[in-house]
Amino acid sequence: MRTGAPSYPVAGRVVVSAGPLTFVLRRRAAGMFLLLLALTAVAVVLSLGVGSTFVAPADVVRALAGDGPFTIVVQDLRLPRIVVALAVGTLLGLSGALLQAVSRNPLASPDVIGVSQGAGFAATVVMSTDLGAAWLGPFALLGGLTAATVVFTLSWRYGLAARRFVLCGIAVALATKALTEIFIVGADAIDGQRAQVWLAGSVAGTGYAEARILLIPLVVLLPVLLWAGRAMDTTALDDGVARGLGVRVTQRRLLLGVVGVILAALAISQAGAVDFVALAAAQLARRLVRAERPPLACSALAGALLTVVADLVARTAFAPVQLPVGVLTAVLGGPYLLWLLVRRTP
Amino acid sequence: MRTNRRLAVLAGSAVLLAAAVLLSLAAGSRGIAPGRVLQVLLRPDDSDASAILWSLRVPRTIIGLAVGAGLATAGVLMQALTRNPLADPRIMGVSSGASLGVVAAINVFGLTTLPSYIWFGIAGAALAGTFVYALAARARDGASPVTLALAGTALDASLTGVVIGVLTVNVKTFDQYRFWAVGSLSGRPIEVALWVLPFVVAGIVLAFGVAGGLDALALGDDVARGLGRNVGRVRLAAAVAAIVLTGAAVAAAGPIGFVGLALPHLARGLVGAHHRWVMAVSLLLGPALLLGADVIGRLVVPPAEIRAGIVTALVGAPFLILLVRRGRTVTA
Repeated sequence: MRTGAPSYPVAGRVVVSAGPLTFVLRRRAAGMFLLLLALTAVAVVLSLGVGSTFVAPADVVRALAGDGPFTIVVQDLRLPRIVVALAVGTLLGLSGALLQAVSRNPLASPDVIGVSQGAGFAATVVMSTDLGAAWLGPFALLGGLTAATVVFTLSWRYGLAARRFVLCGIAVALATKALTEIFIVGADAIDGQRAQVWLAGSVAGTGYAEARILLIPLVVLLPVLLWAGRAMDTTALDDGVARGLGVRVTQRRLLLGVVGVILAALAISQAGAVDFVALAAAQLARRLVRAERPPLACSALAGALLTVVADLVARTAFAPVQLPVGVLTAVLGGPYLLWLLVRRTP
Repeated sequence: MRTNRRLAVLAGSAVLLAAAVLLSLAAGSRGIAPGRVLQVLLRPDDSDASAILWSLRVPRTIIGLAVGAGLATAGVLMQALTRNPLADPRIMGVSSGASLGVVAAINVFGLTTLPSYIWFGIAGAALAGTFVYALAARARDGASPVTLALAGTALDASLTGVVIGVLTVNVKTFDQYRFWAVGSLSGRPIEVALWVLPFVVAGIVLAFGVAGGLDALALGDDVARGLGRNVGRVRLAAAVAAIVLTGAAVAAAGPIGFVGLALPHLARGLVGAHHRWVMAVSLLLGPALLLGADVIGRLVVPPAEIRAGIVTALVGAPFLILLVRRGRTVTA
């Protein structure tokens, strides 16, 4: 430890300093981060190997390096889709953590504040009209962002109170969902069925083009996310207390919420409303790290892991029928969250 | 809040409900004049109006009353139990439990008629609700609001996933299931209404019984204990009532959103946080909203219909937003 650095008497935290940088490291969070990273890597290798042709893990690793007989299967056929699943999960995990911190509600997720429904409505409209499939992504993104803007506008009244935010969000979400259902009922059966699958969320048939759309904004937003990781510490405080500490509560809450909404709208525009990931990833990460608030980095990894595993099961369990990945994220993530909740040891 | 004002609200709600019931009986692709409605109700005859009224609109209205009252009261109970404004009857997995029960009835037992699903719906709802409550009660802090809400949402998502999974793989089940799952009051025979009513009545009686306990619970567990309440027993009774009400409502009409979520907020905005009053107002306004939505759905695109669940959300959302913006929501 550098001389002069304040001693940090909180258990489970160490001060790390490397050259000019000094930061506090939460030991359990760091450990969980590495564990989740390792698990995600294992899941990716497994998912690359399983399918109509089985590739042994060792061969998968060789193929990733561009060597061996399975290069085409692994690199060209399976990898793009898995990268999309990873990206979607990461974005949704981050978004869930941010939105839950902003709304101070463990049930908050993109579908509580209308992002999923807005995107779903736009996507349904595109599918039931003659607009080409190329417009699906942009319209869905626009729909999600529009719905969120409406929610922010409606809940804005001398600031952004957490409770008003979620309640306006759910009202907009339910109304938009009702509009979508009217469209689905009025549409052709085929279009309706397609819309249903899209609404459940699926990464089938996606590739690097979609991954690029997801990952470039993530990289751009990285500095903001680094700030958010620290800024979130004050979101749990009472508004008055936070103000007393000199925090600009409204601005901070708005910025965190906007970032969360953008991430969710991006993910949903490319993969459909993979709903449960955002809620579950943040809560899983929070319980694994034993933190007060959903930790950002671990939520991102938990989301990625959940989505990759769900995608693996979705395309193999009832092969050749592919289930929407959104179905499996709930079936796999739900019980695990239940188990974490009822575990008696803290 | 003054009792006079509360009584006025209650009376207003009752008038609204009476109007909604009369409209629900009179309006449709073939309208019947209100005077004629009363005449035929008192003395059924051989006319078309009598046939339409007794075979179609009376069952539909009774189901609307039962489902609206059940969902609204269940919503009050759930929001009090979880202390979460986002809680609705879905939150204990009850709604998706009923869905899974119906899917099992179609897929495993090969049942084909709506009335035969209803017991499976109720059984599925009861199993899922009991499971969530038992699980949450096992947690360290004993069925605390957050644990209950999260456990319910997790189970709800999982069961919904299973239902969608089965429906995706099995087209034949999907074809039958969708008639139940549309969340509508129409096409239900009178038997469905008569089977559901006792459950709803029992649930409402139990709900009013624990209303005082819920008031104490809203002050926090310790204060409630200090006031001489048995916290665990109040929670259990409220949960049982919520499960019975939601199970019966969902089994009869399919999943209908919004009523259970929004009505409690509306009622609290009108009469304050006293649970007995909130329940009484919800009990009247819930069916009024649902029947009103059902009537609108019948009239906008005749002879086709927009199902009640959709109209409820479209009509109710602006109200909820207005209420929230005016800062009239009172904490559960």
